[in-house]
Amino acid sequence: MSRFFKTAADTDSSSEESDEELLSSGDDTPAKPAAVQQKTPMSQFLKTAGDSSSSSSSSDSDSDDSDSDDSDDKPAAVQKPRPSTFLVGGGGGRDDDDSSEDERKVVKSAKDKRIEEMQAIGKSIDNALRIGDWVATSNDFDKLARLVERQTNVSEPVPPYWLRALVTVENALTATKEKDPKKKVNASNSRAQNGMKQKVKKATKEHEALLKTYNEDPEKFERDYIQALAPPPVAPREVRPAQPAGAAAAGQAGETDEFTTVGRGGKGVQHTVETLFKDLAQVNENRGKKNTDRVEQVRTLEKLLTVAVTTYQRIRVLLALISARFDYNPAASHMPNDAWLAAQKELDQLVKILIHEPTYSVEEEVNFEYDELLERSPTTEEGGIVRIRGSVISFVDRLDDEFTRSLQNIDPHGTEYIERLRDEKVLYKTICLSQSYFERASRDEALARVLMRRLEHIYYKPDAVVEALEQIPDIDETTRPSLSLQTCEKAQSLVHSICISLYKTSNSLLRTRAMLCHIYSHALHNDFYTARDMMLMSHLQENVHSADVGTQILFNRTVVQLGLCAFRCGLIKESQSTLQDIFATQRVKELLAQGLHQQRYSTLTPEQEKAERIRQMPFHMHINTELAEAVFLVASMLVEIPLLASLDTEEARRKAVSKSFRRLLDHANRQVFNGPPENTRDHIMQASKALQDGEWQRARDLIQSIAIWNLMPESKQVKEMLAKRIQEEGLRTYLFTNAPYYTTLSLELLSRIFSLSLRSVTSIVSKMIWNEELAASLDQAGGVVVFHRVEPNKLQQLALSLSEKVAQLVEQNEKALDVKLGGGSGWTDRGDGKGGDKRGGEATGGGGERRGARTGTRGGVRGRGRGARFAQGLGGQIGGAQAVRT
Amino acid sequence: MAEYDISQKLIPYMDRHLAFPVLAHLSELSLFPEEDVRFAQYELARGTNMVDFTLDLFQQLYPDQDPPPELAQKRDDAVQTNQRLQTEAQVVLDVIEREEVAQALRQDKMQNLNYLKEHYNLTLEHISALYTFGQFQYTYGNYSGAADYLYHFRILSTDADLNLSAHWGKLACDILSGNWDTALEELNSLREAIDSRTNSTTSNPIPTPSSESALAQLQSRTWLLHWSLFVYFNHAQGRTLLLETFLSPAYLNTIQTSCPWILRYLAAAAIVTRKAASAASGRAKHALKEIVRIIQMEEYQYKDPVTQFLRELYVEFDFEAAQKSLAIAERVTENDFFLVDLKQDFLDNARYLISEAYCRIHQKIDIDDLSARLNLSQEEGEKWIVNLIRDMRMGADAKIDLEKNVIHINRPPAPLYQTVIEKTRGLAFRTQALGAAMSRRAAGETIETGEEGKAKGKGRRTGGPPQTSSGPANAPPTAAVVTAEA
Repeated sequence: MSRFFKTAADTDSSSEESDEELLSSGDDTPAKPAAVQQKTPMSQFLKTAGDSSSSSSSSDSDSDDSDSDDSDDKPAAVQKPRPSTFLVGGGGGRDDDDSSEDERKVVKSAKDKRIEEMQAIGKSIDNALRIGDWVATSNDFDKLARLVERQTNVSEPVPPYWLRALVTVENALTATKEKDPKKKVNASNSRAQNGMKQKVKKATKEHEALLKTYNEDPEKFERDYIQALAPPPVAPREVRPAQPAGAAAAGQAGETDEFTTVGRGGKGVQHTVETLFKDLAQVNENRGKKNTDRVEQVRTLEKLLTVAVTTYQRIRVLLALISARFDYNPAASHMPNDAWLAAQKELDQLVKILIHEPTYSVEEEVNFEYDELLERSPTTEEGGIVRIRGSVISFVDRLDDEFTRSLQNIDPHGTEYIERLRDEKVLYKTICLSQSYFERASRDEALARVLMRRLEHIYYKPDAVVEALEQIPDIDETTRPSLSLQTCEKAQSLVHSICISLYKTSNSLLRTRAMLCHIYSHALHNDFYTARDMMLMSHLQENVHSADVGTQILFNRTVVQLGLCAFRCGLIKESQSTLQDIFATQRVKELLAQGLHQQRYSTLTPEQEKAERIRQMPFHMHINTELAEAVFLVASMLVEIPLLASLDTEEARRKAVSKSFRRLLDHANRQVFNGPPENTRDHIMQASKALQDGEWQRARDLIQSIAIWNLMPESKQVKEMLAKRIQEEGLRTYLFTNAPYYTTLSLELLSRIFSLSLRSVTSIVSKMIWNEELAASLDQAGGVVVFHRVEPNKLQQLALSLSEKVAQLVEQNEKALDVKLGGGSGWTDRGDGKGGDKRGGEATGGGGERRGARTGTRGGVRGRGRGARFAQGLGGQIGGAQAVRT
Repeated sequence: MAEYDISQKLIPYMDRHLAFPVLAHLSELSLFPEEDVRFAQYELARGTNMVDFTLDLFQQLYPDQDPPPELAQKRDDAVQTNQRLQTEAQVVLDVIEREEVAQALRQDKMQNLNYLKEHYNLTLEHISALYTFGQFQYTYGNYSGAADYLYHFRILSTDADLNLSAHWGKLACDILSGNWDTALEELNSLREAIDSRTNSTTSNPIPTPSSESALAQLQSRTWLLHWSLFVYFNHAQGRTLLLETFLSPAYLNTIQTSCPWILRYLAAAAIVTRKAASAASGRAKHALKEIVRIIQMEEYQYKDPVTQFLRELYVEFDFEAAQKSLAIAERVTENDFFLVDLKQDFLDNARYLISEAYCRIHQKIDIDDLSARLNLSQEEGEKWIVNLIRDMRMGADAKIDLEKNVIHINRPPAPLYQTVIEKTRGLAFRTQALGAAMSRRAAGETIETGEEGKAKGKGRRTGGPPQTSSGPANAPPTAAVVTAEA
């Protein structure tokens, strides 16, 4: 008995038995005894099974299945000499393949296993019946029923064991009833008994006809069944040439000793051309099952690949192999690198085959059925093209996704990250290869997707990096995609031409994303005006909140890059207003998907957090948020400080200023003691204060000493530009602050204080006068500014603020009505055309997504500008607008 | 000066025939080598049926060569085709010109067609003969004749595409024969036709085909902008109308997206109509401000001395730079086909603008200095300033102090109540609009139908062809040209 327990324990560890455990998970208490009971017939059965179905198993053999008997090997080897010799003989062939393994394997087909199982269960039912344990009987019966069901699913005939069990149970039931209906049985037992009755009734009904034939002659039925299962016997198969002849001979010899009727080769580790498709089918069948050994599967497929001779075979094996590679342990954070690399190589191989053999085509939708087990070639197919079910594009997608995922999970500051990043080159090559395949096969849908992948690898990179990436090794004329750096010369024009071809697709998501990437690339190359125009004409800011999160992230990235670009070009105001929306949220990192948001009131469920994690940008794609923040704050300083100075009442000040900057400034003002500036913010805040006090030189020095400017490509020009801006804005601030205290001010003095030329001082002052920011005029003869400022009295002030409030009220009403009317195309003049629908969308989108809420407000703010104008002109079509622009 | 010439940008958007005057103008200037211009003219003429003109040009180009034989061939063909088409068209014309027919014709086109078919056995094919003949006449330069035929055709035909094409053709004819009044009418109705096409597409619930039609519309508008230059710069009230049209959002967008060089004419028109602007209503009033904004926005893709002048003056307030730009702009206007006649106007008004801005900013102005800025002698300058003060109606505020030779400008700050009035001005109207929208909503009437009703109403009022929403919307104006040349 102890040995049985041992075997049971052993088998538990093996994957095969755990499967059974899974199947019988319903039974808790009797599981153990059942397992024990099973064991007896099981080990005996080993022989019978080998006998009865050896002919079939020889062809279906699969190394994967051999696991099942690993556990039995050891005890069996000790106890029974016959199997042991058999095993040695079988193992002899195998050892050449993987010598590292010292376990020997007996290979049986899935079918055999099922039969074994069924027989075992049948036995255990018998046992249980004998002792009147209805609970165990019921459980076993269920188990058997499930097995049978599975069997019928793979369209095999109903096994006789099932019928036999049915008959026995039925007999037993009637027997108990007749024998002593009054005999006391315990509660659970009787319940099980009643349940059994129902089940048996149902089952008998299902298999009525079969039962009848079975009852007539059980033996014959059983024989028929075995025959039906066994395919025509296969001649002893050739041992793979790679195998040493001696070992093969030993294997064969050992075999013939024991099983004269069977022609069993090297225990299923042999794969030959003839059996290739069957092996493939086997692998496919086992795929995704809980207890399949993935490594083993991959190994099998690799071997199959070496065997495959015809193109069709190679394609089929590659398809299976690549998808098998992607089946990594779901518990792992990302795919192992070596598996990824192997998958990449195999995908390359597959795509190359497909490029060179245009008569073979891998398609997602093959409308007709074909026999998986038959060889096909162009000559036998309709239209001369072999269509194979599969999807290259999904492999490319998956490969790319896995790459990103691995980058997300590797520490970006270690060398491993850089190592991994090197693989981008081969990935890019694969993408290019598949692009050229899709071009040749003119599969537009897939081509667009692969183009998008390609674009996403290059759009954010500086020219030099793209150039390096574009130097694809071993890609020749036949496999080169139509677009490359050679044809486009500049990285930017490469992006441009990829985008152009993407605009032509029917997939609007791809179009949108291409547009954003295009804008991003323009912004990266300091082409602010083009980027801005494209952004406005695309109308993305109005409807991006209804897009998926990934696109929203891309949009946010683009907006930030646009802001940075404006700053580099010296367009402070534009930069400030562009970055404002992003930075006002205080969640820059989250919006750019560059880090998880630390929430004070953590409301995220683990699933949300996981989803968030998946969306994160890999580190090398990050936009430096500290730089962006510095840019935003400096731009804010240059815009807000003069504005602050120009407003007289405290109330006006509270309203007009952008909040995020103001908060920082207030905070800085509240500090009792100001130490020397340490971080970027400190620098900017102190500079702001200096600017307020008219000390532009100090402000300039503080701003220029910020270290982060060095990260900008043109830091020197940027610093110079900033110095000039600070001078000008300093002058304006000075004038605003001090105007009430002077009647005249000499222009010359001003130009001296701010080291500006007299001409530019005059120009700035003139501008302020013309725009009615400053109540003053110039005295040309005296070279002075004359201020004539009148303080409004209390009543006038009140009247002014009242009128303002009334205006606001009307505006609010209009907005409210806008929201109410929603879908209708705007009822006022300003929104004729498409504006209406979009505003409607905004209203609905605002409530839902968090990101949506934010972008919604942005759409409202900026929609008033040029975007709204374009709306009328172009009807908001990206494609249309784009074609015009380019 | 050649770098400021934008003929090359304009001509691609013009009809073959419209380009002749522009080229003729260029040949009078010495901006480009005479040979080149003449060759361009010849190339242009070769595509038309104006055989004699082509021969002339050929003789000028190659005085010692025989004209290519295909020209003679072409002439024969043209004469033959002309006769054939004329006889075809004559049938229709005969019918239409009868008095009883003229009386029987109504507004309703279908009814007219039926009437003609019943009584005179005229079908659509016959009527199309009018179009073909009109077009043919156009190709050999008989513009007024072509205009007549196309006019008749448009009245009778129901084919939307051909009608639009005929529209373009008629406009070209009117422009080339110099009937500015009719051309203006034609221009307006054409503009309406183009704009109404959008309405039909935007109210279309399916957004997919509208990208194409939006593109087609953009193209039509670009063409219209270019063609209208002929009309607007020759018609008496053209400049004001130009501002009205070009500054409407749709056309402003067109300018910004596809043809920023039109900004030159926009800027020039705004400067020239400075005086009228104060009296004019609507868009033209704030034209300058708007234009300066756009010039600033589009500076990265287009600038020339005219736009630079406005920019220097109103963005930078750099009067010296503005003065320099003006000097170059003066020569640009001399050379520009459309602006040449307005040169003096332009200059005067530009000076006004300078001095106006100058006076608004300054309190005390040295007369010498101002005269220098305006490129005038002191005497002239003084006279100019006096006129200026009178014109600007600031008599009370500005005084000349001859002793010190300065002008004193005393500008009292704007009273506060004025600001309050400004702020509250539109409120009542806006509230009314709100109310109207709500009641419309309450009546269960969707906004779209309301707008459509409006559009249709307009169509009926002007008596033009009612452009219903069903017409195929993508017939670019190129169709008109291609057919006109064929």
